[in-house]
Amino acid sequence: MDNGTFLRIAGLSAGYGATRVLERLDLDIRKGEFVALLGSSGCGKTTLLRAVAGFAKPSAGSIIVAGRDVTRLPPDRRGMAMVFQSYALWSHMTVGQNIGYGLKLKGLPRTEIAQRVGELEEMLGLTGLGSRKPAALSGGQRQRVALGRALAINPQILLLDEPLSNLDARIRLKVRHDISALQKRLGITAVHVTHDREEAMVMADRIVIMDAGRIAQQGTPEEVYNRPASPFVAAFMGAENVLELSGNVDASAVAIKAGANNHRCLLPLGGRTLESGMFEARFRAEAAELMTGDAPAGAPGQALELSGRVEAASYPGGIWRHSIRIGEAQILVDAPRPFEHGSAVRIRIPAEKLFLFNTRSAHERPHAHSLHDGRKGRVLEASET
Amino acid sequence: MPKRLIGLVLVLPALAVILLLFIVPLAASVVGAFEEKNSYGLGNFTKAFELYRSDVMFTVMIVSLSTVLIGLFSIAIGGYLTLGENPRAVAILRWLYRWPMFIPFIVVGQVLRTFLAKNGLMNNMLVGAGIITPLQAASFLDWRGIVIAFVWKQTPFVTLLVAGAMASVDRGTIEAARNLGASRLRILLEILVPQVTTTLMVGLVLSFVTMMSVLSVPLMINAQSPTMITADIAFRINAYGDYGVANALGLISLAVTACVAWFYLRHSMKERA
Repeated sequence: MDNGTFLRIAGLSAGYGATRVLERLDLDIRKGEFVALLGSSGCGKTTLLRAVAGFAKPSAGSIIVAGRDVTRLPPDRRGMAMVFQSYALWSHMTVGQNIGYGLKLKGLPRTEIAQRVGELEEMLGLTGLGSRKPAALSGGQRQRVALGRALAINPQILLLDEPLSNLDARIRLKVRHDISALQKRLGITAVHVTHDREEAMVMADRIVIMDAGRIAQQGTPEEVYNRPASPFVAAFMGAENVLELSGNVDASAVAIKAGANNHRCLLPLGGRTLESGMFEARFRAEAAELMTGDAPAGAPGQALELSGRVEAASYPGGIWRHSIRIGEAQILVDAPRPFEHGSAVRIRIPAEKLFLFNTRSAHERPHAHSLHDGRKGRVLEASET
Repeated sequence: MPKRLIGLVLVLPALAVILLLFIVPLAASVVGAFEEKNSYGLGNFTKAFELYRSDVMFTVMIVSLSTVLIGLFSIAIGGYLTLGENPRAVAILRWLYRWPMFIPFIVVGQVLRTFLAKNGLMNNMLVGAGIITPLQAASFLDWRGIVIAFVWKQTPFVTLLVAGAMASVDRGTIEAARNLGASRLRILLEILVPQVTTTLMVGLVLSFVTMMSVLSVPLMINAQSPTMITADIAFRINAYGDYGVANALGLISLAVTACVAWFYLRHSMKERA
C-alpha cells in the first residue's frame, strides 16, 4: 500500500436491486488531494460518492480511511461530510443554526458553537446573514451555507455531489475557485462529483473519468486532456472529430496509409500503444489548422493533412467554427478567419494533438466486452456537456 | 345572450344548491338560537349553559386530548414510514395503518363497545392471560372509550397527510442530518416534523372539526352524563322538540371549532411571514 494513500477504495461493487452500478472499483486518494469523479449521467460516479459517504451499501469491497475500515460504519462515524447537489439546507433553521447543527449534535457548549459558526461565516463571506433563513439567500449564498455546515465538524474528507450544478453560469466560475482555494487552505481531502469537464479540469488535482461503473482513466487534468487512453475518454474530453484511418506501426513511428482524402504520412509514435491495422482518429476542433486547398503542403512526418469542403461556418466567439465534410465524415474545425461556404480546404492536425486508437475490427481490445456496447450513445451524451 | 350572462347561468345551479342547502339552514339555525317564545334574546344560551356547561367542557377536553394523541401517533407512524430501515416492517405498517379510515364511526362505536365493556373482549383476554383478576375488570365505556374510538378512527387520516408530506421532503435534508450524526429520533423531531408542520396542522384541524360533530360514538360508548354536545343536541330535539337550545348548543360548538381554525390561520400566517 502506497504510504501516501489516505482514502482507499478497494474492489467496490454496488448497485440497486439487480442492477450493478459499480464493478469491483479500485481508487486510492492521497491526503489533501482534490479528486474529481467525472462522467456522464448513469456512469456510477454519484453511487461511488454515496457508497464512500455511507448512504449506499456496497455489495462487495471495502472503504478504508487512514488504515481504518469504515465500510460498515454509519455515515457520521467516517470522518466525512457531504455537500449535496440540492444543498439540502433545513429551511426551518437560520443560517447559523444550519451551520452549527453538527456541533450541537456533538454536544458542544453554546458559546463554543457560536464562536465556530462566526468563524465559518466570516471565512465563507456570510457575515451578517447568520439569522436569515435559507429562503432569503441567493443561490451562491445557500451553496456556501451548505459548505459551512459540512466544514463545521472539521471532517477529514469533504464529499461534494455536483455542488455547482444549481448555480448560474457566472457565479459558478467564481465558486469553483473559491472552493478549491478553500480546500487547499484547509488541507482537506476532497472528492468532487461532476459531469462538467471544465469544472473538473479547473478544480481537481486528479481527474477520475468513469464509464459504466468502471474507471476509464485517471490522471492529472493535463494527462487526461492530452493523452486520453480510450476513444471514450478522448470524446469525453472534447475530441469529438472522428475519422477512420489505417496504417502500419513500427518501433518508433506510425505510418498512416494514403486514403481518399489524406496523403501518406509518418507520425512519431510518442508513447501510443498501437498495432497495425484500422485506427480511430480523434482530435479537437481547436487542435487542427485550417488552410485553403491550394496552400503549400507542410513538412510530412509532423502532421496529418486532410482535404475537405466547407459546409458551414459560425461564430461562437473568438474564433470561427467550420463544419467540414471529408468524404463521408463531417468534422468541426476552428480557424481565426472565416472560410467561404463550399470552398476546398486542407486540415492539418499536428501529431501530438491527434489521438489514435485501434478500432475493434482491426484489433480486439483485451478488455472489450459488453460494457462497450452502446458507446455511441454515451459519447453523444458526453458531448452534450 | 352576452357571454357574461351565460357564465352566470352556468354557475347558478351550484350557487342555488349552496344557498338552499347550506346558507339558508345555517342562517335559520343561527336565528333560531336567539329565538325565544315571542322575542329574541340570549335565553337559549343561558339555558344551554345552565344545563350543559359540564358537557361543553367534557367535549372540549375529549376532543382536545384526542387531537393531541392523534398528532403524536401520526408523527410516530409517519416518521417510521419515512425513516424506518426495515423494509418489510415499513411495508406492513404502510398496508395496515389505513384500514380504520374505511370504517364508519357507528361501526367503530359498536366494535369498541363490545371490546371495552366490563365483560368485553379486552377484559376477557386480560383475565384469561392472568394479568388481572375478574374483580379488577373495569369498563372503559366512559370518556376513555370515546378518546380511544376517536384516536383509532382519525389517526390514519392525519397519518396519510403527514406521511405524504414527509415522503416529499428532500431526502438530502435527512441525509445531511445523518451525515452530521443525528439519531433517527432527532431527525424526526428536529428535521422532519418542522418541515411538515403546516400539513400536520391542517390534518389536526380537520380531525378536530370531524370529532366535534360525531354523534354515534358518544351515544354508543358513553350514554351517561357528562356526554358530548352532539348527544345533547339530539336529545333536546328528539325528547323535547326544543330547537332553540339545540341551535344554541350548535352555535357553541361552531364557536369552539372557529377558535381552532383561527389558531391554525394565525399559525400559517406567521409561517408565511
